[in-house]
Amino acid sequence: MAMVNRPQFLPWLPPIGRKTLFALAVAFICFAFAFPVLWLILTSLRPESGVYYVHRGTEFTLASFAEVLSDERIVAAFLNSALISTLATVFSLLVTVSSGYMLSRFTGPASRLWFGTIYVFRCVPYISWVLPLYFVTQSWGLYDTYTGLLLPHIAVHICFFSWLMKGFFDGIDPSMEYAAMIDGCTRWGAFIRVAVPSALPAISALAVLCWLFTWNEFLFALILTGNRVPVITVVMAQFVTEMGLRWNLMAATAVMALLPAFLIALFGQKYVIRGLRI
Amino acid sequence: MQGLARWFVAATAALVAATGSAAAQVKELRIGYQPSPIQDASIAMFEAWGAKNGVKIVKVPNSYGVYVEKMTASLTSNSDQYDVIWHNDDWGQTWAHLLEPTDDVEANKFGSKWSMSPIVFANAQGQNTVVPMGQTFSVFFYRSDLVKPEEVPKTLDELVTMSKKLQADGKVKFGYVGGMSMNHSWFSWFWSMWANNCDVLLPAYERDNKKLAEAGWKSSLTDPCMQKTVEYWWDAINTHKISPRGMPAYDRNEANAIFMAGDAAFTVADTLWWGTFNDPNKSKIVGKVAAARFPLGPDRKKPFGWDDIWGWAIPKSIPEERKKLAKQMLNAMMLDEEGQTKLFKSTGAPPPNTTFWPKIAEQDAFMKLLKEAVLDSPDKVRGAYYFPQWPAVHKAFNDAVTKAVTGKREDIAKVLAENAPLVSKAAQ
Amino acid sequence: MFGEQQRFVLLLIAPAALLLLLFQVVPIVIGANASFRDWALYNPKKTWIGFDHYVAVITDPAFLYVVLPNTFLFMVLSVAGALVAGLALALLLNRPFRGQKLVQTILLVPLMVAPVIAAIMIRWIFNDQFGIVNVVLEAIGLEGQPWLVQRWSAFGIILLTDIWLWTPWFTLLLLAGLQSLPKEPFEAAAIDGTTTWRVFRYLTLPMLRPVIVVCVVIRAIDAFRTFDIVWTLTGGGPGRSTELFSLYAYVHAFLNLDLGRGSAAAIIGGLVILVIGVVLYRLVDRIAKA
Repeated sequence: MAMVNRPQFLPWLPPIGRKTLFALAVAFICFAFAFPVLWLILTSLRPESGVYYVHRGTEFTLASFAEVLSDERIVAAFLNSALISTLATVFSLLVTVSSGYMLSRFTGPASRLWFGTIYVFRCVPYISWVLPLYFVTQSWGLYDTYTGLLLPHIAVHICFFSWLMKGFFDGIDPSMEYAAMIDGCTRWGAFIRVAVPSALPAISALAVLCWLFTWNEFLFALILTGNRVPVITVVMAQFVTEMGLRWNLMAATAVMALLPAFLIALFGQKYVIRGLRI
Repeated sequence: MQGLARWFVAATAALVAATGSAAAQVKELRIGYQPSPIQDASIAMFEAWGAKNGVKIVKVPNSYGVYVEKMTASLTSNSDQYDVIWHNDDWGQTWAHLLEPTDDVEANKFGSKWSMSPIVFANAQGQNTVVPMGQTFSVFFYRSDLVKPEEVPKTLDELVTMSKKLQADGKVKFGYVGGMSMNHSWFSWFWSMWANNCDVLLPAYERDNKKLAEAGWKSSLTDPCMQKTVEYWWDAINTHKISPRGMPAYDRNEANAIFMAGDAAFTVADTLWWGTFNDPNKSKIVGKVAAARFPLGPDRKKPFGWDDIWGWAIPKSIPEERKKLAKQMLNAMMLDEEGQTKLFKSTGAPPPNTTFWPKIAEQDAFMKLLKEAVLDSPDKVRGAYYFPQWPAVHKAFNDAVTKAVTGKREDIAKVLAENAPLVSKAAQ
Repeated sequence: MFGEQQRFVLLLIAPAALLLLLFQVVPIVIGANASFRDWALYNPKKTWIGFDHYVAVITDPAFLYVVLPNTFLFMVLSVAGALVAGLALALLLNRPFRGQKLVQTILLVPLMVAPVIAAIMIRWIFNDQFGIVNVVLEAIGLEGQPWLVQRWSAFGIILLTDIWLWTPWFTLLLLAGLQSLPKEPFEAAAIDGTTTWRVFRYLTLPMLRPVIVVCVVIRAIDAFRTFDIVWTLTGGGPGRSTELFSLYAYVHAFLNLDLGRGSAAAIIGGLVILVIGVVLYRLVDRIAKA
């Protein structure tokens, strides 16, 4: 394709000035966006006596990281978090891809009812159901178990993702599926072999976002776990005590938790952009 | 028959002894707590006892952010998650009916009578429901390198003049810094109002719910004493500038960070912070801190101390034999002199057994001061109120005074009067 | 009983519906049940009291005149802010330039950190004593501000944090949308010498309409129930002036341990956003079409 002569911003400026201005603006935006996290990283490297007055003094140390890593729970927490995030992502997508497909391809009372249901439950605030959720998981013997943490994390995405998935499938021409069915494919065959592969970019995009969301999720983890399934956010939250905050340890743990998230975002983003086309 | 039974018991005992403590090892106690130096030190005593008696101590840390709500939910749903839980005077009456009475923990008699008063921890039948962990209260800290003991402010006015002098001399950026936002009211609002014969509800210092109800859960916000307290902080922040302008939004972390950075001369914090203030890894003012009695307002002449405890409790819903075992453990903790001395050393919190106090005070100047100024003081104040609506009352109070102190000075009385009914309403 | 097609339809939603039922519907029904009862968390008497909790919430002047207006204002500004920022950044990233990939990665940074941690960090950044914002302001000769004790600056910080957290979502969704737009109309416009603004207004924006509608509605629902960052940054203060509806429900259910009242407040909020969502969907759809 021939390079299109794109319309330019600030056309009265000479190209070099425009370029400099553009670069400066982009650099500023990037700095502003990254600043809280850069500051967090800087904080985590300061000795405990300097974690609040980060700008005062130039001593840096890895002591907070060493202290966090000396806690034997931390490795387990990272593994638990990675496991829960990955499983939650896989299962969330599995159940919502079919639910979104149904919403997109079928009209009728069942479809309208299901869409109404997910819309209504999308609107209910978390505050009203985390405590009852605690009672529920407890009476079903799921409190402080992997299952008891995993299933709510899957359930929480159902409404949002079904909605997005419907959008993805709406953007895919159904005639391919009809053609496949005329060729002797079952409905399931048409769904799994034809529709899902064409929605795959969108699905992988959601996978990245879902993984990041679960990785960083606090409230469910705090309410639904005790000591058997420590996840990384719960370990972080335990640095908040009645006697104040262990901010240096919290910052160090948060920075360590940043790394997997960064890798996922780095390698996942091209799928995200390619896929998130509603 | 009886002989046979006795023989059987003896044989079993011998067998257990012979196989080591294999059977006993199965026993375990689950502790629901929050990681912090004082609880860690107390649990260290549990673990020492557990090692000796073949009981495994399982520690289940909980975040402060959801501790009360989650533990309350756990207690009311009769779950079997914990055998011993962290307990605090603030929710003494909220949980009393859900906890096992602890009157039969014999060593409880060595606990502080004041702190374990039935007003705080007794259930409807008048039975005590707590075993103390340590005394937790705040004192007035000052920078001993800047202020001589005889110069320490005795009144709120002296706090202003002394602060101004230190600031004018360029010694510190601010005179006083202390937490003020919700759930940190103690570190500025509460102590300063107690210092002036004032309180959240009137009559001041009254904690008997019957008497408070008779008084109609009367809020102090319409009383001149509270207006004076708010005006004092308004002036401290805006007129005298001895406290930072952001202080009404500070929690204890922010206030202590400023104090530990050496930017303020005075603060009020829990004695538990004594260890932190003097830890070179955490603080820039190591060895430059001392404690004193609270400065007093114009309407109060007699010094006072604030004294509360943290404790341990046993959920009512757990099986009898575990209750018994938990009580044995708590009893042993109460008698563990070595462990309790360590608890004081690592935290600055007076340990639960009062009979150990004199000996620690002989060796430690800080404990000596706490003993004289607070523990042995006849004029004591309780930090919280002991009815289930207290968190709602506290929030209504804090919202009102925060609104008043961040507004215009001439509006203070008006704002307080507007909010007074909300405090009384929250109590009912 | 069911035809082949009905069976297929039901099977498609069965796993999702089952999970939704067990872990969302059941707890929400329990919460809704509590909202009609005397259900203090520490003493669940569970006696039926009808609509008392609902009446108490909707007759509470703080709820009507502080909490709801704050929530609406927050929702509108947060969604608008993140939409504008997200759209601008998406347009930026949609043109090729050197380092585009790096910039794109940096703009995703807010997605990588737990919101609660980010909120604590931002609270310290805006502290009037050790916060870096005041340190910089004072270094260049300006007066530092006590950001969190003044109503509108505190509100602004909450808003800024929320927009920061959510802009990447908008950027991603809109960028994906932009890249899937057909090339021909833009090429034609370029040949005609149409101005940048007219291209954006009459080509880009209408074509992005479906994406924008979904983004705005979903995000509005989430913004309406924002909780953790507000609780961390201001706790609703100073003096309830930045309290949002979810904090109101939280304080009743979690702080005052009154599950009944807290649930009632949460359900009222849920109903409000339900209606807003439908209205918003129609409204945004129409605006974008025009």
